[in-house]
Amino acid sequence: MSKRIGFYICHCGTNIAGKVRTDDVAAFARTLRNVVVARDYKFMCSDPGQEMIQKDIRELGLNRVVVASCSPRLHEKTFQGACQRAGLNPYYFQMACVREHCSWVTEEPDEATFKAKTLAAAAINRVNFHQSLVRREVSVHPDVMVVGAGIAGIQAALDIAKSGHQVYLVEKEPSIGGHMVQFDKTFPTLDCAACISTPKTVAVSQSPNIHMLSYSEVTEVNGFVGNYSVKVHRKPRYIHEDRCTGCGLCAEVCPVSTPSQFDEYLSSRTAVYRHFPQAVPITFCIDKLDRSPCTNACPNQVNAHGYVALIAQGKYIEALQVIMRNLPLPGVIGRICPHPCESACRRGEVDSPLSICALKRFVADRVDLEELPIPEITKRDEKVAIIGSGPAGLTAAYFLALDGYQVTILEALPVAGGMLRVGIPDYRLPPEVLDKEIRAITRLGVDIEFNTALGKDFTIDELFAQGYKAVYVGIGAHRSQKLNVAGEDAEGVMHGMEFLRRANLGELPGIPGRVIIVGGGDVAIDAARVAARLGASKVSIFYRRTRREMPARENEVEDALAEGVEIQYLTAPSQVLTMDGKAAGMRCIRMELGEPDASGRRRPVPVAGSEFEVEADLIIPAIGQAPDSLFLAEREGLSLSRKGTVETDPVTFATNREGVFAGGDAQSGPWIAISAVAQGREAAMSISRFLKGEELGAGREPATVPQEHFSPIPDDLQVQPRAEMATLSMNQRQTGFEEVELGLTEEQARAEAQKCLNCMVCSECLECVKACERNAVDHSMAAEELEVKVGTIILATGFDVMDPTPLKQYGYGRFKEVYTGLEFERLNNAVGPTGGQILMKDGNKPGSVAIVHCVGSRDVNHHEYCSRVCCMYALKYGHLIKEKVGHDTRVYNFYIDMRCFGKGYEEFYRRLQEEGITFIRGRPAEISDEPAGPQEQGKLMVIAEDTLLGRRMRVPVDMVVLCTAMQQRKDTSEVARVFGISQGGDGFFLEEHPKLGPMTTATDGIFLAGACQGPKDIPDTVSHASGAAAQALALATLGKVEISPTTSWIDPDVCAGCQTCIKLCAYSAIEFDARRGVSVVNEAVCKGCGSCSGFCPSGAARIKHFTAKQVFAEIEGMLDAI
Amino acid sequence: MEGYEPTIIAFVCNWCTYTAADLAGTSRLIQPFNVRMIRMMCTGMVDPKYVIKALLEGADAVLISGCHPGDCHYINGNLKARRRIKLLKEILPRFGFHEGRLKMTWIGASEGIDFARTIKELVVEVKALGPNETRKQMVL
Repeated sequence: MSKRIGFYICHCGTNIAGKVRTDDVAAFARTLRNVVVARDYKFMCSDPGQEMIQKDIRELGLNRVVVASCSPRLHEKTFQGACQRAGLNPYYFQMACVREHCSWVTEEPDEATFKAKTLAAAAINRVNFHQSLVRREVSVHPDVMVVGAGIAGIQAALDIAKSGHQVYLVEKEPSIGGHMVQFDKTFPTLDCAACISTPKTVAVSQSPNIHMLSYSEVTEVNGFVGNYSVKVHRKPRYIHEDRCTGCGLCAEVCPVSTPSQFDEYLSSRTAVYRHFPQAVPITFCIDKLDRSPCTNACPNQVNAHGYVALIAQGKYIEALQVIMRNLPLPGVIGRICPHPCESACRRGEVDSPLSICALKRFVADRVDLEELPIPEITKRDEKVAIIGSGPAGLTAAYFLALDGYQVTILEALPVAGGMLRVGIPDYRLPPEVLDKEIRAITRLGVDIEFNTALGKDFTIDELFAQGYKAVYVGIGAHRSQKLNVAGEDAEGVMHGMEFLRRANLGELPGIPGRVIIVGGGDVAIDAARVAARLGASKVSIFYRRTRREMPARENEVEDALAEGVEIQYLTAPSQVLTMDGKAAGMRCIRMELGEPDASGRRRPVPVAGSEFEVEADLIIPAIGQAPDSLFLAEREGLSLSRKGTVETDPVTFATNREGVFAGGDAQSGPWIAISAVAQGREAAMSISRFLKGEELGAGREPATVPQEHFSPIPDDLQVQPRAEMATLSMNQRQTGFEEVELGLTEEQARAEAQKCLNCMVCSECLECVKACERNAVDHSMAAEELEVKVGTIILATGFDVMDPTPLKQYGYGRFKEVYTGLEFERLNNAVGPTGGQILMKDGNKPGSVAIVHCVGSRDVNHHEYCSRVCCMYALKYGHLIKEKVGHDTRVYNFYIDMRCFGKGYEEFYRRLQEEGITFIRGRPAEISDEPAGPQEQGKLMVIAEDTLLGRRMRVPVDMVVLCTAMQQRKDTSEVARVFGISQGGDGFFLEEHPKLGPMTTATDGIFLAGACQGPKDIPDTVSHASGAAAQALALATLGKVEISPTTSWIDPDVCAGCQTCIKLCAYSAIEFDARRGVSVVNEAVCKGCGSCSGFCPSGAARIKHFTAKQVFAEIEGMLDAI
Repeated sequence: MEGYEPTIIAFVCNWCTYTAADLAGTSRLIQPFNVRMIRMMCTGMVDPKYVIKALLEGADAVLISGCHPGDCHYINGNLKARRRIKLLKEILPRFGFHEGRLKMTWIGASEGIDFARTIKELVVEVKALGPNETRKQMVL
């Protein structure tokens, strides 16, 4: 069929005709192929203009139309509509822009007319190859999502709910209201902000059509207009919304304090909080970050943060209860633990780690364990036997007894405590402390039988025969490693473990003469210090490597040296010298360090010819321990590792024998006590599950705990020394076994605990759980992921206030009496940091206040735009100051212009002038604290020029309020990406058209409400939000929308099946049809971007209305016509 | 060469650069008349053969302009375009086209001023290259 093209060029009044000779262009067009008619007219977009087109279509049988006028972004739809009404498929229309791209930007009329001709020729040539296309209709989901619940989001949500549609209101804070609820009064009516916003927030919570998703954020948006699928991440509050009544008892007992963001960091709040008493929802929220490093580092996961926080408040019983949840031996561990928690403590980044171990000991010494009430225990029938009363056995016994089981501990020695009793000397761990804590365990009903040893007095089989249902093997590692030198078995050679045991049991009243200890670990140091106290004339330690490789704890080594012990490094024994069968000395050889061995430490190598002899009366080898376990394999049927330790499952501690579990040094080899405690606790859990017939390992798989998000360390912390406890003087030490470390005083402990940085904010001390009468607190709550289907989305994410620190001349951050507008709002708010009074930081009322306008706004260095609201709130502040502080308070406004544009605004300005505010027209150059005379002492001087008077001035004031710019939220670019919209040059979200489309965006179905689109006051925000709601409802109520048909199509006859387009498609809209061997586009998902067609080597993929033929024709038209 | 006015074809993306061009127009920013824009939905839609076609038809230069990386309305179409144009720039000189005859820029929707400036600078650069002699030299 022949093409019959109608060409029309618009004058657009003088906008086009002023530069382009439109009649020339029309005449030129008439000469082009297939052009049947070419007209020029004043206003093509007007009714007569469109009628002209329709008439020509009907009467002249046009089947193609070209209009040369303004930008297609304005009127393409208008002219397509005209064609459609005349019965012509709208896609047979092409538009050439000769205004924005031609007449408005070209100086010379000749050049403009020439360019207009080429553009017209391009469009005419292209339209020959257009195809008729039919717009797809898709349904629009009736629900709407509103993101952000400030006044804009609230208004939009209420409007939509009123229409009967469902709306999801997503808000990232725990309660709704945005910035408006931070204000005290609002201009110009001086309405109380809370009073006018609470009816709306309550209406939101009570509306059945509004699904409020507070403390939640949108993470992903998929789909297209009318059919959005949105993923919402609901952060855990740890408090059940349907149970919490908002009574606040939890906040009263919370020991953790953190700066309050709602109060603009002018005050603190507790970890469990709500923003203000009228918050909607009323539910409290627990601020909990990644697990505190101290708790995470503890092998037994004792909640170090929890008990430190409680000690800071003087709540010692509660602190001890936190410890006892995981550890029944607080006084013991608080004395001997190598405290890995302290190595992880972030306070170390400021000055030094907290003395967490000493704090634990303080609380254990302070609170009498035996005075605490015995918890209620539901008794069970099953009997459990625990072999060994060391830390592992005692802990397992404690937790099993709490669980109700009948527990009997079988101990080989005459005393309980294992290595705690007979390995650790009394000056480190007094026996009274250990005894008290053992009594606190036995009072739960645990029996201990002494002098009864596995393998000698009973076997495991016999235990089962006696009716025990489970057995725990915690026999420790008490067998000393041998030196393997000649003479080792002589009298006078006593291995470290035996020496310490006999000394602890009182079997060694005194030892004379010279003592030599071989070894470098804690046992060697303990033996040395004990020998010194027992009267040895000289105590020496021989160690085969250097001090750097010694495994003993640093402070123990130092204490040993201070107590007179000599240490010889790089020395090893080669033979014990005997006389009459008794040890009389040692032959030793010097060592030097060679290559590293398997443990990574450098291997000691004997130096030839360096032998020497030394006298000794007692030789104590202390070079390592191992469990006495051979018989366990041979006679008890337990499998052992190569090192001789009992093999168990690493999570459940079950051995290869059913019903038999093992832990502590017997399983791990010699290690630290807290690890044995942890293993005992885990074994108790396993035994309990075993006896109940439950799966042992369920939910206990090791998981990595995130350690990234902690409370930031404030910049202004003062460096403080670490609390060090007093120690016994040297004189007192040498005469006996009194405890050397004396513990912290109460003053020291509380001061130390208050240094805690509260890394995870909430310490999980669980005081809130105890306090809540409705059992609403649940610390195990987890984040939820929701997926919601909506048809349209309204963004109402609001604004941020600019931080004026970069404007150093105003001294924000340097001078304490310089405030931002929002900080000043909080001072005025009745539930703010000063209870609504305007007070300076020293508690006094200000005698004079300066309010500085345009801080960061109307400024080429920061934001060029005007923030719109500041002049008005500056007037409001003036009024508040006069009213609250006193009418004789001097208030100065430093302004550039007074922008009082709205309803009642100019009247408000007049009123404030009458209230006696001073207005100085001049932007201050500087705020200074350097006085030029006695009257300026202690004040801040605002240095400005009054441009109306033409005079420089220095105005001394007590307080300065900066009207800081309203700017985009700091996450605006991420949010824009998630929703597929753009940011404008000023940082706010980009609207479709600043005059006629302020609520719509370039992305269909996504609308803007409120300050996220640009600075606005509350009345404008409410209007804007209602407008956005109307836009969304227009789509939602119609229920359908037309989607552009300009999607991709792959010609199956040409497609070679290379599938590269599939990988290129950003929307995964292309699938491979294996049967036919071609790629196929899913039109519902395709957005017509052209990534596939731009690549396709065979030309099979093409975008409808943007085919290669059409584009080639456009190029040719542009270049060939003239 | 004196007195020659280059003809430059610009393939611009609808969402960013075309909008910026409209903004430049609304703001009445005067520009040289040498650039003719062809509206594409995305720079990713620009097939290298369009560039070659334009140059063979006698265009003195081709400009391709789209959204800033990270801001593409279709997520990453502009990044795909960048890859294609980079390769094309390496091939063109082998066929006698100076690589200065193909330029790619990122101009966002609100950057009307940048658009006008880019056009002015491009015309100056292309004038300095001299006219595209292809049409005269091509043998059909």
